[in-house]
Amino acid sequence: MKVEVHVWDWPLRLFHWLLVAAVVGAYWTGKVGGEWTDWHGRFGSAVLGLVVFRLVWGFVGSTHARFANFFPTFSRIAAYIRGEWLGAGHNPLGALAVFALLAVLAILAGTGLFANDDIAFEGPLFDLIDKDLSDKLSGWHLRSVNVLLILVGIHVAAILFYQHVKKAGLIGAMLTGKKQLPRSLAPADAKPAGPIRLIASIAVALSVVWGVWGGEPLQALAKLAGVQNVQAGNKL
Amino acid sequence: MKTQLAIALALGAVTTAALAGPIEEQIRFRQSAYSFLGWNTAKIKAQAADHPETFNKDQVIAAANAIAAVANSNLLELYGPGTDQGTGWKPTRLKPEYFQKQAEVKELEATFIKEANELQKVAEDGDVGEIKAQFGKLSASCKGCHDLVRVRE
Repeated sequence: MKVEVHVWDWPLRLFHWLLVAAVVGAYWTGKVGGEWTDWHGRFGSAVLGLVVFRLVWGFVGSTHARFANFFPTFSRIAAYIRGEWLGAGHNPLGALAVFALLAVLAILAGTGLFANDDIAFEGPLFDLIDKDLSDKLSGWHLRSVNVLLILVGIHVAAILFYQHVKKAGLIGAMLTGKKQLPRSLAPADAKPAGPIRLIASIAVALSVVWGVWGGEPLQALAKLAGVQNVQAGNKL
Repeated sequence: MKTQLAIALALGAVTTAALAGPIEEQIRFRQSAYSFLGWNTAKIKAQAADHPETFNKDQVIAAANAIAAVANSNLLELYGPGTDQGTGWKPTRLKPEYFQKQAEVKELEATFIKEANELQKVAEDGDVGEIKAQFGKLSASCKGCHDLVRVRE
Protein backbone atom coordinates (compact mmCIF):
# COMPACT_ATOMS: atom_id res chain seq x y z
CA MET A 1 0.00 0.00 0.00
CA LYS A 2 1.57 3.23 -1.14
CA VAL A 3 0.59 6.75 -0.35
CA GLU A 4 1.48 10.02 -2.01
CA VAL A 5 3.81 12.13 0.06
CA HIS A 6 4.83 15.70 -0.58
CA VAL A 7 8.61 15.61 -0.32
CA TRP A 8 10.14 18.49 -2.30
CA ASP A 9 8.69 21.98 -1.88
CA TRP A 10 8.62 24.36 -4.84
CA PRO A 11 11.70 26.46 -3.91
CA LEU A 12 13.80 23.30 -3.87
CA ARG A 13 12.42 22.08 -7.20
CA LEU A 14 12.84 25.49 -8.79
CA PHE A 15 16.39 25.61 -7.42
CA HIS A 16 17.18 22.24 -8.95
CA TRP A 17 15.99 23.05 -12.46
CA LEU A 18 17.44 26.56 -12.46
CA LEU A 19 20.74 25.00 -11.44
CA VAL A 20 20.50 22.55 -14.35
CA ALA A 21 19.92 25.46 -16.72
CA ALA A 22 22.71 27.58 -15.23
CA VAL A 23 25.24 24.73 -15.27
CA VAL A 24 24.40 23.74 -18.84
CA GLY A 25 24.62 27.39 -19.89
CA ALA A 26 27.93 27.90 -18.09
CA TYR A 27 29.39 24.71 -19.53
CA TRP A 28 28.35 25.52 -23.08
CA THR A 29 29.45 29.17 -23.02
CA GLY A 30 32.73 28.11 -21.43
CA LYS A 31 33.37 25.65 -24.23
CA VAL A 32 32.49 28.06 -27.02
CA GLY A 33 34.21 31.13 -25.58
CA GLY A 34 34.59 34.18 -27.80
CA GLU A 35 31.55 36.43 -27.77
CA TRP A 36 29.86 34.06 -25.25
CA THR A 37 32.52 34.58 -22.61
CA ASP A 38 30.58 37.37 -20.90
CA TRP A 39 27.60 35.02 -20.70
CA HIS A 40 29.85 32.44 -19.09
CA GLY A 41 30.40 34.98 -16.31
CA ARG A 42 26.65 35.53 -16.01
CA PHE A 43 25.78 31.83 -15.92
CA GLY A 44 28.59 31.34 -13.41
CA SER A 45 27.07 34.09 -11.25
CA ALA A 46 23.73 32.29 -11.44
CA VAL A 47 25.41 29.08 -10.28
CA LEU A 48 27.05 31.01 -7.44
CA GLY A 49 23.74 32.51 -6.33
CA LEU A 50 21.93 29.16 -6.56
CA VAL A 51 24.61 27.32 -4.59
CA VAL A 52 24.59 29.99 -1.88
CA PHE A 53 20.80 29.75 -1.75
CA ARG A 54 21.01 25.97 -1.40
CA LEU A 55 23.59 26.21 1.38
CA VAL A 56 21.33 28.54 3.36
CA TRP A 57 18.26 26.45 2.51
CA GLY A 58 20.10 23.40 3.82
CA PHE A 59 19.85 24.93 7.28
CA VAL A 60 16.57 26.83 7.26
CA GLY A 61 14.57 25.16 4.46
CA SER A 62 11.85 22.54 4.43
CA THR A 63 12.36 19.16 6.13
CA HIS A 64 13.95 17.12 3.35
CA ALA A 65 16.05 20.04 2.11
CA ARG A 66 17.94 20.26 5.40
CA PHE A 67 21.44 18.83 5.38
CA ALA A 68 21.08 17.42 8.89
CA ASN A 69 18.16 15.30 7.69
CA PHE A 70 20.01 13.60 4.86
CA PHE A 71 23.70 13.93 5.69
CA PRO A 72 25.24 10.66 4.46
CA THR A 73 26.64 9.33 7.72
CA PHE A 74 28.39 5.99 7.67
CA SER A 75 25.57 4.27 9.55
CA ARG A 76 22.93 5.62 7.15
CA ILE A 77 24.92 4.45 4.11
CA ALA A 78 25.44 1.03 5.69
CA ALA A 79 21.73 0.75 6.47
CA TYR A 80 20.86 1.75 2.92
CA ILE A 81 23.17 -0.87 1.43
CA ARG A 82 21.61 -3.53 3.71
CA GLY A 83 18.21 -2.38 2.43
CA GLU A 84 17.17 -1.19 5.87
CA TRP A 85 17.15 2.54 5.25
CA LEU A 86 13.78 4.24 5.75
CA GLY A 87 13.32 7.78 4.57
CA ALA A 88 11.46 9.99 2.17
CA GLY A 89 14.06 12.50 0.93
CA HIS A 90 17.49 11.89 -0.61
CA ASN A 91 18.67 8.35 0.07
CA PRO A 92 22.18 8.19 1.59
CA LEU A 93 23.94 7.41 -1.71
CA GLY A 94 22.00 10.17 -3.46
CA ALA A 95 23.01 12.44 -0.60
CA LEU A 96 26.67 11.74 -1.35
CA ALA A 97 26.04 12.93 -4.90
CA VAL A 98 24.20 16.04 -3.66
CA PHE A 99 27.09 17.08 -1.42
CA ALA A 100 29.73 16.25 -4.02
CA LEU A 101 27.90 18.22 -6.72
CA LEU A 102 27.38 21.21 -4.44
CA ALA A 103 31.06 21.10 -3.44
CA VAL A 104 32.40 21.00 -6.99
CA LEU A 105 29.99 23.72 -8.12
CA ALA A 106 31.08 25.88 -5.19
CA ILE A 107 34.71 25.33 -6.23
CA LEU A 108 33.91 26.18 -9.85
CA ALA A 109 31.99 29.32 -8.95
CA GLY A 110 34.58 30.32 -6.35
CA THR A 111 37.63 29.89 -8.59
CA GLY A 112 35.76 31.49 -11.49
CA LEU A 113 35.42 34.71 -9.51
CA PHE A 114 39.22 35.08 -9.57
CA ALA A 115 39.91 33.49 -12.95
CA ASN A 116 41.18 34.93 -16.23
CA ASP A 117 41.44 33.45 -19.70
CA ASP A 118 44.47 35.44 -20.90
CA ILE A 119 42.25 36.78 -23.66
CA ALA A 120 39.59 39.21 -22.56
CA PHE A 121 37.91 37.75 -19.47
CA GLU A 122 38.64 38.47 -15.85
CA GLY A 123 36.42 37.26 -13.03
CA PRO A 124 34.83 40.01 -10.93
CA LEU A 125 37.31 39.50 -8.06
CA PHE A 126 40.39 39.12 -10.30
CA ASP A 127 41.82 42.43 -9.09
CA LEU A 128 42.00 41.19 -5.51
CA ILE A 129 44.80 38.69 -6.21
CA ASP A 130 47.95 38.63 -8.32
CA LYS A 131 48.02 37.27 -11.86
CA ASP A 132 50.04 34.13 -11.04
CA LEU A 133 47.49 33.05 -8.44
CA SER A 134 44.66 33.84 -10.85
CA ASP A 135 46.37 31.64 -13.47
CA LYS A 136 46.57 28.79 -10.97
CA LEU A 137 42.93 29.17 -9.95
CA SER A 138 41.97 29.27 -13.64
CA GLY A 139 43.78 25.94 -14.09
CA TRP A 140 41.88 24.45 -11.14
CA HIS A 141 38.67 25.87 -12.55
CA LEU A 142 39.26 23.94 -15.78
CA ARG A 143 40.27 20.75 -13.97
CA SER A 144 37.14 20.92 -11.81
CA VAL A 145 35.04 20.84 -14.96
CA ASN A 146 36.17 17.24 -15.52
CA VAL A 147 35.14 16.34 -11.98
CA LEU A 148 31.78 18.00 -12.57
CA LEU A 149 31.23 16.04 -15.79
CA ILE A 150 31.95 12.76 -14.00
CA LEU A 151 29.61 13.61 -11.11
CA VAL A 152 26.82 14.75 -13.44
CA GLY A 153 27.27 11.54 -15.42
CA ILE A 154 26.94 9.44 -12.25
CA HIS A 155 23.98 11.52 -11.05
CA VAL A 156 22.06 11.18 -14.33
CA ALA A 157 22.92 7.48 -14.71
CA ALA A 158 21.74 6.79 -11.15
CA ILE A 159 18.50 8.71 -11.68
CA LEU A 160 17.83 6.76 -14.89
CA PHE A 161 18.59 3.51 -13.06
CA TYR A 162 16.10 4.36 -10.32
CA GLN A 163 13.59 5.50 -12.92
CA HIS A 164 13.67 2.45 -15.18
CA VAL A 165 15.03 -0.40 -13.09
CA LYS A 166 13.83 0.38 -9.58
CA LYS A 167 10.72 2.24 -10.83
CA ALA A 168 11.21 4.91 -8.19
CA GLY A 169 10.08 7.85 -10.35
CA LEU A 170 12.62 10.32 -9.02
CA ILE A 171 12.35 12.60 -12.05
CA GLY A 172 8.61 13.02 -11.53
CA ALA A 173 9.26 13.68 -7.85
CA MET A 174 11.65 16.53 -8.70
CA LEU A 175 8.98 17.98 -11.03
CA THR A 176 5.83 17.58 -8.91
CA GLY A 177 7.41 17.32 -5.48
CA LYS A 178 5.48 14.12 -4.75
CA LYS A 179 6.72 10.59 -4.15
CA GLN A 180 4.81 7.34 -3.80
CA LEU A 181 6.02 5.87 -0.52
CA PRO A 182 5.01 2.88 1.63
CA ARG A 183 2.35 3.78 4.15
CA SER A 184 4.80 2.91 6.92
CA LEU A 185 6.82 6.00 6.00
CA ALA A 186 3.82 8.33 6.07
CA PRO A 187 3.22 10.91 7.27
CA ALA A 188 6.49 12.14 5.84
CA ASP A 189 5.20 15.32 4.25
CA ALA A 190 7.87 17.97 4.32
CA LYS A 191 7.29 20.70 6.85
CA PRO A 192 7.42 23.80 4.66
CA ALA A 193 9.62 26.74 5.51
CA GLY A 194 7.79 30.03 5.82
CA PRO A 195 8.03 32.96 3.39
CA ILE A 196 10.37 34.89 5.68
CA ARG A 197 12.96 32.12 5.61
CA LEU A 198 12.60 31.88 1.83
CA ILE A 199 12.97 35.61 1.30
CA ALA A 200 15.94 35.71 3.66
CA SER A 201 17.65 32.82 1.81
CA ILE A 202 17.11 34.48 -1.57
CA ALA A 203 18.33 37.80 -0.16
CA VAL A 204 21.57 36.20 1.06
CA ALA A 205 22.14 34.60 -2.36
CA LEU A 206 21.44 37.80 -4.28
CA SER A 207 23.63 39.84 -1.92
CA VAL A 208 26.59 37.55 -2.50
CA VAL A 209 26.25 37.73 -6.28
CA TRP A 210 25.66 41.47 -6.27
CA GLY A 211 28.51 41.91 -3.81
CA VAL A 212 31.12 40.11 -5.91
CA TRP A 213 30.17 42.21 -8.94
CA GLY A 214 30.95 45.39 -7.04
CA GLY A 215 27.53 46.19 -5.67
CA GLU A 216 27.21 46.95 -2.01
CA PRO A 217 24.04 45.31 -0.69
CA LEU A 218 24.19 46.78 2.80
CA GLN A 219 24.61 50.32 1.54
CA ALA A 220 21.74 49.80 -0.91
CA LEU A 221 19.52 48.47 1.86
CA ALA A 222 20.49 51.45 3.98
CA LYS A 223 19.59 53.69 1.08
CA LEU A 224 16.23 51.97 0.70
CA ALA A 225 15.67 52.57 4.37
CA GLY A 226 16.51 56.22 3.81
CA VAL A 227 19.63 56.09 5.98
CA GLN A 228 22.30 57.13 3.54
CA ASN A 229 22.48 58.01 -0.10
CA VAL A 230 25.35 56.02 -1.59
CA GLN A 231 25.49 54.85 -5.17
CA ALA A 232 26.50 51.23 -5.53
CA GLY A 233 28.36 50.23 -8.66
CA ASN A 234 27.27 47.23 -10.67
CA LYS A 235 29.21 45.65 -13.53
CA LEU A 236 26.51 43.09 -14.30
CA MET B 1 71.96 22.75 -60.12
CA LYS B 2 70.45 20.32 -57.64
CA THR B 3 73.33 20.87 -55.27
CA GLN B 4 72.87 24.60 -55.50
CA LEU B 5 69.20 24.24 -54.72
CA ALA B 6 69.99 22.00 -51.77
CA ILE B 7 72.52 24.52 -50.47
CA ALA B 8 70.06 27.35 -50.94
CA LEU B 9 67.36 25.42 -49.05
CA ALA B 10 69.77 24.47 -46.29
CA LEU B 11 70.96 28.07 -45.99
CA GLY B 12 67.35 29.22 -45.90
CA ALA B 13 66.56 26.82 -43.09
CA VAL B 14 69.65 27.86 -41.15
CA THR B 15 68.87 31.55 -41.64
CA THR B 16 65.29 31.13 -40.45
CA ALA B 17 66.47 29.29 -37.35
CA ALA B 18 69.18 31.87 -36.77
CA LEU B 19 66.71 34.74 -37.12
CA ALA B 20 64.38 33.17 -34.61
CA GLY B 21 67.36 32.68 -32.32
CA PRO B 22 68.03 30.22 -29.54
CA ILE B 23 65.21 28.58 -27.64
CA GLU B 24 65.01 31.07 -24.80
CA GLU B 25 64.93 33.94 -27.26
CA GLN B 26 62.09 32.43 -29.28
CA ILE B 27 60.09 31.89 -26.11
CA ARG B 28 60.80 35.43 -24.93
CA PHE B 29 59.79 36.92 -28.28
CA ARG B 30 56.53 35.05 -28.42
CA GLN B 31 55.67 35.83 -24.80
CA SER B 32 56.31 39.48 -25.57
CA ALA B 33 54.09 39.26 -28.63
CA TYR B 34 51.19 37.92 -26.54
CA SER B 35 51.67 40.56 -23.84
CA PHE B 36 51.57 43.23 -26.50
CA LEU B 37 48.46 41.59 -27.99
CA GLY B 38 46.92 41.62 -24.52
CA TRP B 39 47.45 45.36 -24.16
CA ASN B 40 45.66 45.95 -27.44
CA THR B 41 42.84 43.44 -26.98
CA ALA B 42 42.14 44.87 -23.53
CA LYS B 43 41.73 48.31 -25.10
CA ILE B 44 39.21 47.04 -27.65
CA LYS B 45 37.34 44.97 -25.09
CA ALA B 46 37.08 47.98 -22.77
CA GLN B 47 36.04 50.47 -25.42
CA ALA B 48 33.79 48.35 -27.65
CA ALA B 49 32.31 45.85 -25.19
CA ASP B 50 32.47 46.75 -21.50
CA HIS B 51 32.32 50.54 -21.62
CA PRO B 52 31.06 51.62 -25.05
CA GLU B 53 30.64 55.15 -23.68
CA THR B 54 34.45 55.40 -23.70
CA PHE B 55 34.72 54.34 -27.37
CA ASN B 56 37.50 56.19 -29.13
CA LYS B 57 37.69 55.31 -32.81
CA ASP B 58 41.33 56.30 -33.30
CA GLN B 59 42.52 54.28 -30.34
CA VAL B 60 40.51 51.25 -31.44
CA ILE B 61 41.90 51.50 -34.98
CA ALA B 62 45.43 51.74 -33.59
CA ALA B 63 44.83 48.68 -31.41
CA ALA B 64 43.28 46.68 -34.26
CA ASN B 65 46.21 47.58 -36.53
CA ALA B 66 48.65 46.41 -33.87
CA ILE B 67 46.76 43.13 -33.41
CA ALA B 68 46.67 42.50 -37.16
CA ALA B 69 50.38 43.29 -37.45
CA VAL B 70 51.27 40.77 -34.75
CA ALA B 71 48.90 38.18 -36.20
CA ASN B 72 50.51 38.55 -39.63
CA SER B 73 54.08 38.43 -38.33
CA ASN B 74 54.52 34.66 -38.75
CA LEU B 75 54.39 33.94 -35.03
CA LEU B 76 54.81 30.23 -35.67
CA GLU B 77 58.48 30.89 -36.55
CA LEU B 78 58.92 31.35 -32.81
CA TYR B 79 57.84 27.79 -32.11
CA GLY B 80 61.00 25.98 -33.21
CA PRO B 81 61.94 22.47 -32.12
CA GLY B 82 62.64 22.24 -28.40
CA THR B 83 60.68 25.35 -27.49
CA ASP B 84 58.17 23.35 -25.47
CA GLN B 85 60.81 23.45 -22.73
CA GLY B 86 62.55 26.54 -21.51
CA THR B 87 62.14 29.94 -19.97
CA GLY B 88 61.65 33.27 -21.65
CA TRP B 89 60.29 35.95 -19.35
CA LYS B 90 58.82 32.98 -17.50
CA PRO B 91 58.65 29.22 -18.18
CA THR B 92 56.83 28.43 -21.40
CA ARG B 93 53.41 26.80 -21.26
CA LEU B 94 53.64 25.16 -24.67
CA LYS B 95 52.52 21.54 -24.64
CA PRO B 96 54.90 19.05 -26.30
CA GLU B 97 51.90 17.87 -28.37
CA TYR B 98 52.24 21.14 -30.28
CA PHE B 99 54.71 19.45 -32.61
CA GLN B 100 52.33 16.60 -33.42
CA LYS B 101 49.36 18.88 -34.02
CA GLN B 102 50.82 20.96 -36.82
CA ALA B 103 47.81 20.68 -39.13
CA GLU B 104 45.41 21.96 -36.45
CA VAL B 105 47.87 24.64 -35.35
CA LYS B 106 48.26 25.95 -38.92
CA GLU B 107 44.51 26.04 -39.31
CA LEU B 108 44.09 27.91 -36.02
CA GLU B 109 46.77 30.39 -37.06
CA ALA B 110 44.96 30.98 -40.37
CA THR B 111 41.71 31.63 -38.48
CA PHE B 112 43.48 33.99 -36.09
CA ILE B 113 44.96 35.95 -39.01
CA LYS B 114 41.62 36.07 -40.82
CA GLU B 115 39.76 37.36 -37.73
CA ALA B 116 42.49 39.89 -36.94
CA ASN B 117 42.39 41.24 -40.51
CA GLU B 118 38.61 41.45 -40.35
CA LEU B 119 38.80 43.29 -37.02
CA GLN B 120 41.12 45.79 -38.64
CA LYS B 121 38.49 46.38 -41.33
CA VAL B 122 35.52 46.81 -39.00
CA ALA B 123 37.59 49.08 -36.75
CA GLU B 124 38.08 51.38 -39.74
CA ASP B 125 34.30 51.38 -40.30
CA GLY B 126 33.84 52.37 -36.65
CA ASP B 127 30.58 50.55 -35.84
CA VAL B 128 30.84 49.65 -32.13
CA GLY B 129 28.44 46.70 -32.37
CA GLU B 130 30.32 45.18 -35.28
CA ILE B 131 33.66 45.70 -33.58
CA LYS B 132 32.36 43.95 -30.48
CA ALA B 133 31.03 41.01 -32.52
CA GLN B 134 34.26 40.69 -34.51
CA PHE B 135 36.28 40.93 -31.31
CA GLY B 136 34.29 37.95 -30.04
CA LYS B 137 35.36 35.95 -33.09
CA LEU B 138 38.98 36.99 -32.63
CA SER B 139 38.99 35.97 -28.97
CA ALA B 140 37.43 32.61 -29.89
CA SER B 141 40.39 32.04 -32.21
CA CYS B 142 42.77 32.79 -29.30
CA LYS B 143 40.91 30.23 -27.19
CA GLY B 144 41.30 27.61 -29.92
CA CYS B 145 45.07 27.60 -29.43
CA HIS B 146 44.91 27.94 -25.64
CA ASP B 147 42.70 24.86 -25.45
CA LEU B 148 44.83 22.86 -27.89
CA VAL B 149 48.47 23.48 -27.06
CA ARG B 150 48.73 25.47 -23.83
CA VAL B 151 49.49 23.85 -20.48
CA ARG B 152 47.04 24.58 -17.67
CA GLU B 153 48.59 26.31 -14.71
